[in-house]
Amino acid sequence: MNLMADILLNVIIAFLVGSVLFGLQRKIMARIQMRPGPPIIQHLLHTFKFFIKESAFPKTAAMPFYIAITAMLCAIWVAAVIVGPVTEGSLLLFFAIYALHKIVEHNAGSSSGSPYGKMSCVRAVFSAAAELPLFAVLIIIYLKTGTMNIGNIVTYQGQYGPLIWGIPLAAMMFFVLILSKAPYSPFAITKGKDIISGYETEHFGLLRGYLMISESIAWYMLLWIFLTVFIGGLSPIGYLIGMILISALVALINATTPILNPNHSIMVQVSLAFIGVLGSIILLTVY
Amino acid sequence: MDLSTLGGQFIGIIPLGDIVLYFTTFNLFMFAAVLAFTVLIAISRTESQVEAQFGTLKDREKKVGKAEFKIRRFLAIVCGLATAGAMVTGDVFDFTLFVALIGIVNIGIVAAVKEIDVLDSAFQYGIIAMIASLPLFGGAAFILASSGTLSLLEIVNIPTTTLMLFGSILLFLGVAGETGVAPFFATKAEMFRTPGSPFLLIIHLSSLMVIVRIIEILLIINKPF
Repeated sequence: MNLMADILLNVIIAFLVGSVLFGLQRKIMARIQMRPGPPIIQHLLHTFKFFIKESAFPKTAAMPFYIAITAMLCAIWVAAVIVGPVTEGSLLLFFAIYALHKIVEHNAGSSSGSPYGKMSCVRAVFSAAAELPLFAVLIIIYLKTGTMNIGNIVTYQGQYGPLIWGIPLAAMMFFVLILSKAPYSPFAITKGKDIISGYETEHFGLLRGYLMISESIAWYMLLWIFLTVFIGGLSPIGYLIGMILISALVALINATTPILNPNHSIMVQVSLAFIGVLGSIILLTVY
Repeated sequence: MDLSTLGGQFIGIIPLGDIVLYFTTFNLFMFAAVLAFTVLIAISRTESQVEAQFGTLKDREKKVGKAEFKIRRFLAIVCGLATAGAMVTGDVFDFTLFVALIGIVNIGIVAAVKEIDVLDSAFQYGIIAMIASLPLFGGAAFILASSGTLSLLEIVNIPTTTLMLFGSILLFLGVAGETGVAPFFATKAEMFRTPGSPFLLIIHLSSLMVIVRIIEILLIINKPF
């Protein structure tokens, strides 16, 4: 297939599937909490709605930074799709993309001048310090397989079986990272309802649409990476089933746990990262 | 092992005498991203930070003054360029120099703000950054002493020794202190309370990008296979 068409197709799939999975999460959370909940396509409808809404810009915002940051977030996750499903490139590159995502999340909040965005910005700095150690899981994958190339990791699993059995603590670390990016998660301190919508509070209309597209693609990509590097190369149906199962599990956790205090959230994440890294190294040494 | 194992396709090198820059897909992406953010910072205005006042329903706007804006923008651009350099350099000593420069300008970006809390935070970060410069350069010195070179293109072909591992640990400690990441992030997070979003971006950007790059460098020096 033509490369551009491949990229476009994968980005559209990532956006649509990511949006529907977000909707599914809200539906499952609502049912657990004895509410009817919104339709599964609600997140998708919201995203489209923002593209036809009037865009407003706070007079206190840092221009053109405030606008460019949303486009950059979109570009970053489109790049992630290219690195992932399209070219099956380096995991290290995916790590860099995730780090850029944290930076954009941080500055989308501070660029508006809103106190809620600013608080989200400060929390993003804290959470980056906790989430990056969780991303150290990539090093454990490298130590186990001898490669950072996603295609080669899939080949390795074809020979030796899924990595989730070989390095289960590393899989746990990555799952915690996925959990922290889900809306309403115990670790979602950057978008806690105590700070309205966090870094998104002052982004309206078209800009919010871009942010929501990016979030959907980001969710799809995190799940795709998890399934690819810990389960192995799956068929499209396999990926879909895996993504639905993980999203349902995340929804169950989110529906039954409160959002943590920022300090507690960081400490839990850092502790899990420490246990995961140390435990994985011991497991790698022993076996 | 070769560099493409970590960073994807090897694109090429730019030899500048002793200084050799190299590009893989990973390095090129990071380099381009940092430059794009630096350009954005250079052309952006700062936001007015709105804060609630105690004892009244009025808000208070905090703005960045013109003189402060100029010096902080200059330092932010220097920081962006140093970070971009750290992304593509093929020399461990150059990398440490870039990281030290990033630490210095990060302190400067925040120290230009006339707020006691922010200055306190910058002071604490400054102390950590200064202390961290010893393991940073010491680590590079150990790697040179044990391998005979600081070129990553050469080190990638040299078997790892215990002293190289020790040097790598020092190097990592140095980078963690200079960039103010965990466990030093507590002092740094306080620095972000000041207005000047574009300049704060470069502080965060430089820290995270350098951490991502140091992982690549450490895996090049300490070959597990």
